[in-house]
Amino acid sequence: MSSDSFPTIPTGLCFHCLQPIPVDTSIEVEVAGKPREVCCHGCQAVAGTIAAHGLTHFYQFRDISNPTSVELVPAELQALEAYDNDELQQRFVQQLDSGTSRQITLSVDGMTCAACAWLIEREVMRCSGVLQVGVNATTERVQIRWNPEQARLSQLLKAIHGIGYKALPFQQDMAEQDFARKRKQYVKRLGVAGLATMQVMMIAVALYFGAVSDLASDMQLFLWWVSLAFATPVILYSAQPFYISALRSIQASRPNMDVPVSIALLGAYSASAYATFTAQGEVYFESVSMFTLFLLAGRYIELLAKQRAVSVAANLVKLLPAIAERELDQSTEQVLVQQLQPGDIIRVKPGATLPVDGELLSSQAQVNESLMTGESRPVMKQSGDAMLAGSVNQSQSVRLKVTATQHDTVLAGIVALQDSALASKPKLARMADKIASVFVWRLLIVAALTFFIWSWIDPGKAFWVTLAVLVATCPCALSLAAPTAVTGAIHRLNKHSVLVRNGDILENLQQIKTIIFDKTGTLTTGNFELQKYHYYHQDQQAINDLVASIESYSEHPLAIPLRELGDATPLAQIEHIAGLGLAATISAGTHYRLGSLAFVQQWHPEFLSRNTGSNVFLSDSTRVLAEFEVQDALREDAKTTLQALKAKDYRLVMLTGDSTERAQQVATELGIDEVYAKCSPADKLTQLKQLQSEQPAMMVGDGINDGPVLAQADVSMSFAAAADLAKASADTISLSGKLEHVALVLGTGIRCRQIMRQNVTWALVYNLSILPVAMAGFVTPYIAAIGMSLSSLLVLGNSLRLYKS
Amino acid sequence: MSILYLLIPIAGLFVILAVAIFFWAVRSNQFEDLERQGMNVLLDDDDDKLKSPEKNQPSSDNDQH
Repeated sequence: MSSDSFPTIPTGLCFHCLQPIPVDTSIEVEVAGKPREVCCHGCQAVAGTIAAHGLTHFYQFRDISNPTSVELVPAELQALEAYDNDELQQRFVQQLDSGTSRQITLSVDGMTCAACAWLIEREVMRCSGVLQVGVNATTERVQIRWNPEQARLSQLLKAIHGIGYKALPFQQDMAEQDFARKRKQYVKRLGVAGLATMQVMMIAVALYFGAVSDLASDMQLFLWWVSLAFATPVILYSAQPFYISALRSIQASRPNMDVPVSIALLGAYSASAYATFTAQGEVYFESVSMFTLFLLAGRYIELLAKQRAVSVAANLVKLLPAIAERELDQSTEQVLVQQLQPGDIIRVKPGATLPVDGELLSSQAQVNESLMTGESRPVMKQSGDAMLAGSVNQSQSVRLKVTATQHDTVLAGIVALQDSALASKPKLARMADKIASVFVWRLLIVAALTFFIWSWIDPGKAFWVTLAVLVATCPCALSLAAPTAVTGAIHRLNKHSVLVRNGDILENLQQIKTIIFDKTGTLTTGNFELQKYHYYHQDQQAINDLVASIESYSEHPLAIPLRELGDATPLAQIEHIAGLGLAATISAGTHYRLGSLAFVQQWHPEFLSRNTGSNVFLSDSTRVLAEFEVQDALREDAKTTLQALKAKDYRLVMLTGDSTERAQQVATELGIDEVYAKCSPADKLTQLKQLQSEQPAMMVGDGINDGPVLAQADVSMSFAAAADLAKASADTISLSGKLEHVALVLGTGIRCRQIMRQNVTWALVYNLSILPVAMAGFVTPYIAAIGMSLSSLLVLGNSLRLYKS
Repeated sequence: MSILYLLIPIAGLFVILAVAIFFWAVRSNQFEDLERQGMNVLLDDDDDKLKSPEKNQPSSDNDQH
């Protein structure tokens, strides 16, 4: 294979990941006999592995218009060992062949094309002990069967990581398997309907022409019988989902669109069959078959769009090994979180998430509870304080005494709250179903009326005219109106990387009048940035360098943005004063203090801050030199999005667990008038229900504490980077994490509703205008067939407009 | 025209055959990943086969003829 067969990579882009190469980097890797420029050592290693394993075909056939973007973190590779725990594996590994082989399905991040699928398959196949590998490029999953005696799961995961993809077990959605089964059923039904309809149509054309030129009557009857034979599987097999759904809706005494569909299908079919048996009247087999095919195709496309959303959403929720480090007498051991008992002592590393609720044994700790409570600033804990599961340790390694096992942590309480909220979620009625219940009765009345009038005019024709009415009023276009519009809207949102987990909400978005935002992580990024500053000294550069030097000794989150201010130089002496700040001495002997207002006021009691938001101050013993406001930064698009929404007369509300002061500050900046701060998850839920009792509401949030409200809201939105619990209960997920997607979703919903209305209006106009013609007895089979297909195609074409722009 | 009495039923038999083949294809998961299969022709070379991928699937039900 000559290297020239690789597609040309633009200069300045990494050969492997196609991202721009940083300016001062020159790393190369040899692939297929030529040196290639890459952007980092990660890509170098990956490309080296691929070349060494003889898999360079990948570079030849991959889709270079679609760059990968998975970061490779070596630290993660260490954590993979935890997946070898047998007890943990029970959750996601299937035992096959009485324990001699195991099977697992993993979701793969970073897969962009079919060549990736091939690469992964080949690489995993190289591992000893692997029995079978199957990569699905559409769902981005890999299924591996292996022999546990010859290979460990972590080795397989590492092999995939080694070629630049991230494969991990994920939380499978229960609905997914259901979808997969349904989809196969639909494909079969569609296949039968498609093949049979082609035959019936072919014969129907012969019959149409027979009506013009003469067709021998026994030949006509023969063709009727053949049509009957082909239409029967369509009606009895392909159209089954409509009957079942119609029966269910009647049982629930809320007739849906499938009721008039079933009446029309079964009515027209049995009348045509009767005509065939008695050799008189008209047959409408082609209309019936075509009708089934159109509707099935519509439902199938809708199902595909929904299934894709569910599987992508499931891929987002990874099953990470919940491992804790438990202290023994002399050493520590790794145990599963499920095995922890109250009273156990565990250690939590810096940056790790607390697995259970506990009591702090170390003298001090700093934790970020923002996901649990919405509090944006790290919380200082003293020995003996309660620590929450789900919060992140931001100090040195800490020791905890377990006070609650996984089932009764605060986190588990929020999950329970979410489940009950999901059950009580208000269901807004679907437009199509409302029309359907009216439609059924009108249809039956009109059909009965036609029959009686014609029995009076010409009893011999009464039955056939009634049949024509039934076929003409067949709600084909009407029942395609909603599903095609919803599917169009889902695709449009997917194109903008918004995932719609629950397609039903699209119809109801136009009723939303209130939008509720969480603060930390939703309106703000959750990262601290320097917002405002004021210097009381001339030489700002000197101050900046000094601040950067002092903060370089601090691990406090507020210190991080201040470190970037200037060039840090080593200091003579530095002292951490807990809860206040840092006291520093430079080599020239001057003493400085950097920290809270209280800290500098110890030296300068008369000092008053210019800006109430300032939270970091620098002073020497004679005066205050500078003040800084370091705040959780607003999302880039927060201001424009909220202004746009406000201009459209939405009622904007902020619902946060953070302090009133900080919530108010963000609200003022963004122009939100209603603020509810310091809310626990349960408070948030009560507040939301209160707002919902006035108007349907949309909730946008990302934290664990938002889980219950996201489930309760009429429509909810979360982000790909949000807590798993939030993603699991949100109706829509912005994969690129943009706040402006709120406006996009609402806009698409309104557009979807408009299109749907146009579709319904058109379908009703068609049905109403053909009705008198049918009642007068002028609708022949081919007029019915043409009318039905044209009206349906028009509806489909109208819905396709949603794909554009 | 009477040849139609023979030809149309024969056409019917072909349709039944087509449906049978289609069902077999659906059952053996050929419609699960449409993106992937187009690429396989390009990527699978016989020379660098490291292991034989043709292993029997004892658990699948479509092997019974």
